[in-house]
Amino acid sequence: MNLRINGTEREVAEGSSALLIYTLRDELGMTGAKIGCAAGFCGVCTVLVDGVATRACITPLAVVEGKEITTIEGLAQQDASGAVRLHPVQQAFIDAQVPQCGWCMSGQILTAAAFLQTNPAPTEAEVVAAMGENYCRCGCYHRIKQAVLAAAEQMAAQVVAATLPTEVRA
Amino acid sequence: MSGDANTQPAGADPNPSRDAQTADQAAAQPTKRSRWRLSRRGFLIGAGAVAGGLALGYVYGVPWTRLQLAGVFEGAEGQPSRFPEDPWAWFEVLPDNRIRLYLMKVEMGQGVHTALAQIAAEELGIAWEDLDIAQATTGRDMGDSLMTSGSSSVSGVFQPLLEAAATFRAMLATEAAMLLGAPADQVMVAGRGFAVQGDPARRVDFAAVATSKTEWEAPKEPVAIKNWQDYSVIGQPRARVDIPAKVTGQAIYGMDARLDGMKYGAVVRPPTISATAKSLGAGAAAEMAGVVKVVVAEDFAGVVADTRTAAYAAVAQMSTEWDLGHPWQQAELEAIVTVDGRDGIVIQEVGDASRLLGEETTVTSEYRTPFAIHTPLEAQAALADVQPDRVRVWCSTQGQGFVRAEVAKAIGVDEQIVEVIPTYLGGGYGRKAGWEVAIEAARLAQAAGVPVHVGWSRLEELRYGYFRPLTHHQLAGRVDAAGNLLAIEHRQASGDVAFDFLPPLMTAVMGADFGAYRGATIRYDAPNKRTVAFRRDLPIRTGWWRGLGLLPNTFAVESFIDELAHAAAIDPLAFRLQNLHDEGDSGRLKRVLQAAADLGEWGQPAPAGRARGIAATVDVGTAVAMVAEVSVDVTTGKIRVHKVAAAMDCGLTVNPDGARAQVEGNIMWGVGSALIEEMTVQDGQVVPANFDRYPLLTMKEAPDVAVVLLEAGDGVPRGVGEPPIGPVAPAIANAFYALTGKRVHQLPMNEARVLAALA
Repeated sequence: MNLRINGTEREVAEGSSALLIYTLRDELGMTGAKIGCAAGFCGVCTVLVDGVATRACITPLAVVEGKEITTIEGLAQQDASGAVRLHPVQQAFIDAQVPQCGWCMSGQILTAAAFLQTNPAPTEAEVVAAMGENYCRCGCYHRIKQAVLAAAEQMAAQVVAATLPTEVRA
Repeated sequence: MSGDANTQPAGADPNPSRDAQTADQAAAQPTKRSRWRLSRRGFLIGAGAVAGGLALGYVYGVPWTRLQLAGVFEGAEGQPSRFPEDPWAWFEVLPDNRIRLYLMKVEMGQGVHTALAQIAAEELGIAWEDLDIAQATTGRDMGDSLMTSGSSSVSGVFQPLLEAAATFRAMLATEAAMLLGAPADQVMVAGRGFAVQGDPARRVDFAAVATSKTEWEAPKEPVAIKNWQDYSVIGQPRARVDIPAKVTGQAIYGMDARLDGMKYGAVVRPPTISATAKSLGAGAAAEMAGVVKVVVAEDFAGVVADTRTAAYAAVAQMSTEWDLGHPWQQAELEAIVTVDGRDGIVIQEVGDASRLLGEETTVTSEYRTPFAIHTPLEAQAALADVQPDRVRVWCSTQGQGFVRAEVAKAIGVDEQIVEVIPTYLGGGYGRKAGWEVAIEAARLAQAAGVPVHVGWSRLEELRYGYFRPLTHHQLAGRVDAAGNLLAIEHRQASGDVAFDFLPPLMTAVMGADFGAYRGATIRYDAPNKRTVAFRRDLPIRTGWWRGLGLLPNTFAVESFIDELAHAAAIDPLAFRLQNLHDEGDSGRLKRVLQAAADLGEWGQPAPAGRARGIAATVDVGTAVAMVAEVSVDVTTGKIRVHKVAAAMDCGLTVNPDGARAQVEGNIMWGVGSALIEEMTVQDGQVVPANFDRYPLLTMKEAPDVAVVLLEAGDGVPRGVGEPPIGPVAPAIANAFYALTGKRVHQLPMNEARVLAALA
């Protein structure tokens, strides 16, 4: 079976692992997606499937065949010069010094990235609702909330900048 | 600062499939140990063993706790430390003229690598970017006999790390002066080398100095270190060195450790807490798809398979017979952990509290706290590669030296051939001070002849570790007409915390479990005060959980102080301030109480439907106070914590932002324990098998937090990782009382208990 992960086709043995998380972590060695409860409660395994935040620990491979899977390893982009440009949510998490142990952070960041795609200008309450199903045992909730709001502002600024005429941008 | 321990090939070698022969692993070869020699001042000096030449470790400045432990352990079997050859840090000059610091403390999110790097950078005098941090493996006998625990990582190594950094710089500087032909006092650090003051062209790089000779001596006189008022790196907020890797998925944890050719293991677990195996057999496991090896021993059974899924499926097919033991129920365990009888051990005695506490005007109360589970989101995990002459274990651990010793014992090899490589920890909180998973991986790897990774499931993590024990507290107190505490007594019963981990000789000498009574003594001024600890033996493993007894004991004591204040009709803040004095820790407690009160708008009207409560503690030398603002839904019984304002004085703060993060995280832990977390036992088994029965706090219940840091003004850092967990629950309980006039005497203050209190 072929899976499209971070823009690359990856061949995986069909049925060798029933669930996406084990295929990613144990077969493909992509350990950026973490495993927490294997039952969909905690959210540390969250990846994007066609842009939708999805818990890989309860997602059968068959469901994601033919879809675009994005893991934390593929969230940052390379610009024209080949330099890595972090996603605004990643940058916001660094700026606010959010992670402690970091185990939940791939899931937090991808959940936030997907959420901000659907709601680019959220209220604080909307952030809490969107992020409220992801556990952080270290208790970084205060900073996660601040960082997601900051990332929304940053992304809005980028959108504004991108829509300005070139001479204004310069 | 360039990178961190677990994202680069040296040090922890986080991605073992690269199988790089790192500097640290080279040092691990036992035959090379003779190259290190102990200098007169407790430094280990090694030359020529590394690319950059001079390397310096220190075993100097042994903290008093370690000496004390060593004293108790003397003559006992299983002495944990083989010092003096147990260095606490290790400096090396790298070929590119940066300086690398190997640390034995593990990074579990507390920011310790960054804080220790700041301490070293302060005395090295080099640019932040020119200091490289690496996680030490056990390869240099860096075992860390105190573990990364007890909020001691910064406070415990602060002074010796400063001195070691200063000495390393001084040794290099002295040699540089020789090479440059300049007086020593005119040679200064300049970039990645030394230059003559006023003549920057006359310079020599660090690596050139370090490789200029092979025989080094530590200075005869102690090298002077800076006055703390002159620090320029310590005390400044620094971005944590481990964070970039953690937002890009590059950080490697024990659960992520991978090696070419590795397989996955799973282990048979007993069905009840008191079960003993009558027989263990392979059953149908060997015929299951993907199974590589079925291992059956007298006390251990498991499977090695191609995938984790196959390993767990096969373990379920093994034939096992159990004697289930007594079917323990929660009520039986609570009955065990009850204050009564004459076997209490007095741990605080001032005056004669019992004489006064028989009077009618005495206020009495009692409290209970439940079992709690650490539940790091990364469960226990280890990868073991067992070769005849070399054993390597990559492990998410707070105690790599203990893992090394226990693995060697379990698989019957010389400890000298075992190297434990700590990874990042996906949460520790005391739970990763154990070593079961490393032994499991090593035993399976030894039997199967291939590297084996064992990563526990959530069910295993919830049921098969050790727990914060049940506690029970009885308190009595009297206050005079002027509002002064006359007498107070705290009698507390608890399951074991530290004692399960210590040799019998040590527990016999100590009598009372210092972990269980942490936070139990009375800090307030009273001419008569008494604290008594009752050790209670539970049929389930209990042990260190963040802060040990601090959370249960502070809940009981600080709730009761509130009761005394209200009985005396005095404002709870004023009552506390009145019964403290201005000197020492008592004065620091007063200042954090006042600062938290100011930050938390104490004394001003709360928003409609809300009220505030205050609580405080001193723990590991750190004073911390909090004001919680809460409301309650009287229909559902759900308490909502809107805000927590915290003030902490941890002495000298090395990285203020890191310290704030620890306070914030502890507040979330405290709110979770106050309102939600409770493990119970039913029919002989731990009830939760996943998060549905042991839910954690989410952002939806998380309060807003505000933190203010105070300085003791003496240049001495204290612990940060645990003290702020103490005041949260009592601040919430006291706020609930202020709101409703009712008090909840048992944690968690969940809906059922709140409704019962309001009825």
